[in-house]
Amino acid sequence: MKVIAIDVLIAAAVLVALLSVLGMLRMRDPYQRMHYISAPAALSPLFITIAIFLQDGLKPESFKALVTTFVLIGMNTVVTHAAARAFRMAETEHWRPVPGEEVPIRSSDEPVEQKS
Amino acid sequence: MNAWNLAADVLIFSLVPLTWIASTGEVRHRIVAFYMGGVIITLLLMLLTMAFHRMPMMDLALSLALMSFGGGIVFAHFLARHLK
Repeated sequence: MKVIAIDVLIAAAVLVALLSVLGMLRMRDPYQRMHYISAPAALSPLFITIAIFLQDGLKPESFKALVTTFVLIGMNTVVTHAAARAFRMAETEHWRPVPGEEVPIRSSDEPVEQKS
Repeated sequence: MNAWNLAADVLIFSLVPLTWIASTGEVRHRIVAFYMGGVIITLLLMLLTMAFHRMPMMDLALSLALMSFGGGIVFAHFLARHLK
């Protein structure tokens, strides 16, 4: 039973990663493509870590895998946000909405005059 | 061949399209593919560690995850400042 659970978890991890890469290939926009990093960065290492804990128990490598999972999840959120902000700044000089741009904004996000 | 090895063998093929995206086209697409490549290679190192029963190799996966974080932030900073 444990072996089956480990195999299913490993298969799920690989399947999530492969589907995410295929989804990334299908997208045309870099902002859309960035969304597809989330699944392999969060779900796949989690599945692999659970499989490692099931196989090896409370060993040092299991905890290293757990730390790696936390690093990947944290890294993905920060780096994706930083990259999206950088892309936006490279396009419009500023990451805030420009006048006339139709985006859902908060009252604190006042449109910024774009430099000509 | 155990399940870990098989999974690593299958997953390594996902690097082919990522390499293609990361080496062609516009710079923003390349960077996104580079980020994804870092995640996939980290997963591969985790799988290969278990496949070959070389437990200290888990440090490599952890190191790569940490280095990808630093590299990603530096790339994002560089892109925002110098590639307008």
